[in-house]
Amino acid sequence: MTKETAYAVEVDRLTKRYGDLPAVDDISFTVRKGEVFAFLGPNGAGKTTTVEIIETIRPPTSGKVNLLGMDVTKKKHDIVHRIGVLPQGFSSFDRITVRETLLYYARLFSVKTDIDGLIELVNLRDKTKEQYRNLSGGLKQRLGIAIALVNNPEVVFLDEPTTGLDPRARHEVWEVLLGLKKKGKTVFLTTHYMEEAELLADTVAIISKGKVIAMGTPGELIERNANYLSLTLKPIDEKVFEIVRKMGFGPVLDNHKNIKVRVEHTYDVQKILNAIKDAGALYLGLDVRKPNLEEVFLKLTGEALREDPDEMETE
Amino acid sequence: MNLRIINANLVVKLMGFYREKTTMFFTFAFPIILILVFGTIFMSQDSMEYRLCVQDLDQTNSSAQAVEILELNGKFKITRVDPAVNAAQYVRVNRVNLVLVIPKGYERSLIQRMMLNDQNASVTITYIYDPSSSSVITKMQILNSVLAVINQGMSGKPPFIRSVEESILTRKYRFIEFFVPGIIAMSVMTLSLFGTVDSDTELRQKGIIRKLSTTPITRTDWILSNILYHFILAVISTIAMLLVSYAVFDVSLHIDAWLLAFILLDVFAFVGTGMILTRFVKEAQSAAAAANAISFPMMFLSGSFFPIELMPGFLQKFARTLPLFYVNEGLRASMVFRDNMAALRSAAIIGVFAAVVFILGIVATKWEEGK
Ligand SMILES: Nc1ncnc2c1ncn2[C@@H]1O[C@H](COP(=O)(O)OP(=O)(O)OP(=O)(O)O)[C@@H](O)[C@H]1O
Ligand SMILES: [Mg+2]
Repeated sequence: MTKETAYAVEVDRLTKRYGDLPAVDDISFTVRKGEVFAFLGPNGAGKTTTVEIIETIRPPTSGKVNLLGMDVTKKKHDIVHRIGVLPQGFSSFDRITVRETLLYYARLFSVKTDIDGLIELVNLRDKTKEQYRNLSGGLKQRLGIAIALVNNPEVVFLDEPTTGLDPRARHEVWEVLLGLKKKGKTVFLTTHYMEEAELLADTVAIISKGKVIAMGTPGELIERNANYLSLTLKPIDEKVFEIVRKMGFGPVLDNHKNIKVRVEHTYDVQKILNAIKDAGALYLGLDVRKPNLEEVFLKLTGEALREDPDEMETE
Repeated sequence: MNLRIINANLVVKLMGFYREKTTMFFTFAFPIILILVFGTIFMSQDSMEYRLCVQDLDQTNSSAQAVEILELNGKFKITRVDPAVNAAQYVRVNRVNLVLVIPKGYERSLIQRMMLNDQNASVTITYIYDPSSSSVITKMQILNSVLAVINQGMSGKPPFIRSVEESILTRKYRFIEFFVPGIIAMSVMTLSLFGTVDSDTELRQKGIIRKLSTTPITRTDWILSNILYHFILAVISTIAMLLVSYAVFDVSLHIDAWLLAFILLDVFAFVGTGMILTRFVKEAQSAAAAANAISFPMMFLSGSFFPIELMPGFLQKFARTLPLFYVNEGLRASMVFRDNMAALRSAAIIGVFAAVVFILGIVATKWEEGK
């Protein structure tokens, strides 16, 4: 029977193969109740495959997956009542309105749902009579999130809820997700936007080529894998670069002729600035930054998380 | 099975259909247009055969009586032609294929024969006809036999050889009455087949099926609501077709529980076929093409539009392997010929087919996307 556990999700040595391809390769992790857990990884990493196995949509090749203490391969009928799912690339019936769609899903679960409350939560008050096909991408995703909540689930799965949205729409979805977080829902989120993971997640698992390569809070991950500071200098004198190089820090020049230096401590920053000052050289500006998950990912995989770093702004 | 879920699903499907006006228009209007077009074409042919133009040059009581006999014979609808006009001209101008001319002196000859027993007294009735008309020969043959009976009757002796007309059909039917059941069978097939293929591939491509598989709706609920949905559309469409047929063509069709039974079997058979198709043809476009490849030959070869007796022998044999043939046969057996046994035979055959296809369809329908 269902045993009570502190974990919403327990994945133990899960593998999923498609022919020769191990889409998910022997991964293990747990999701605590009440936390927002983010699966961060590039396209094709195995996020959807993993999530859909947990959601009982796909069968695993091997390994054990428990959801709220229930084996996902055996308890589908119990599980569906206790989870809410926003599939990747969610879509709904074209000519059915927002309110009708929510009513429909509520009926499927045979539950009384506070439809107005849900509409309020995802901020779709003005759109209740709008047919699905007339909603913009962001509104569609917010409706999808509301649908995932109709049965008041204990665990909510959101597979790339903001992919393909413009920055404003993305922020509006984040607002909704922050609201969920505040309510203490267990949320399993997949994304390839590190800002999203950093902003929302209590725990981030970085997944690449079917493997979880790092896991922890965003802070821990950065601490552990990118424990350095990035110093950027906008030099006036050419010799600044030479000065830093001679100190043994290995500076690089970027496209805008800025000098980028990676240092261990703030103490090193001080040292560099002093050396420049002592040499009588000048710089226009400087910036010291802690690395983010993007750099963690780069360090761990040697690949960029997104092929086009400007994607966030342009798409 | 959960009735509330089935109902919720049905409501969403019907609302979507109702709001998609073009689909709705074509689903309901197309078969009606077919009935109107073909019904009109064949209606004129049906009635041309029975219209008879008569020019009575005698204008006496006896000649009027003769015309009446022709009319009472039941095979002809008489149009009286003014004795003043030229009959040959009348044929040409009015595009009729035959005018029967009763000569002046008809009554006189008749009296001579009947009263004065003058065996030589006779009249000559002239057929003025257009030989290019294909049906005119038949018409003249019918006329000849009617005249023979009149002649025979006047001889006062009982005929030696009598004949009784006994059609293999228990009652006479018109083309339109043959046609309407065929169109019902065909349009229920197409709306079930294409409805299933279109909506299944669309929902699959949009990932709605995947979403639904994380809700309590089961495959059985889903399929049952699909059947119900198509059955409702099929019944509405059939009612519309029948209303038009009655109103415009004054058809005489028998409507009983068989009609509902055959609609239901038709729906089961072709929703099942659609489910099998979408299992094997994933792309929406190729699925629609496959549905076309199945339904198109079926329409023409299974006797929806014309009797298969008009086709060459091997095609007739082939027609008997098509499921739609048995829906056609069954519907005609019940609606036109009122032959319950024949209807039952067809129902049994299409029933077995529907059951097999439907079960295969259920097996083929993968709820879960993933492997
Ligand atoms: N049904 C399937 N059949 C064969 N291969 C599959 C199937 N589903 C996924 N894959 C493969 O498994 C790998 C992981 O895919 P998955 O969809 O889980 O990645 P993802 O992390 O969700 O990527 P994305 O960001 O593009 O959604 C990919 O290489 C994909 O091509
Ligand atoms: Mg994915």
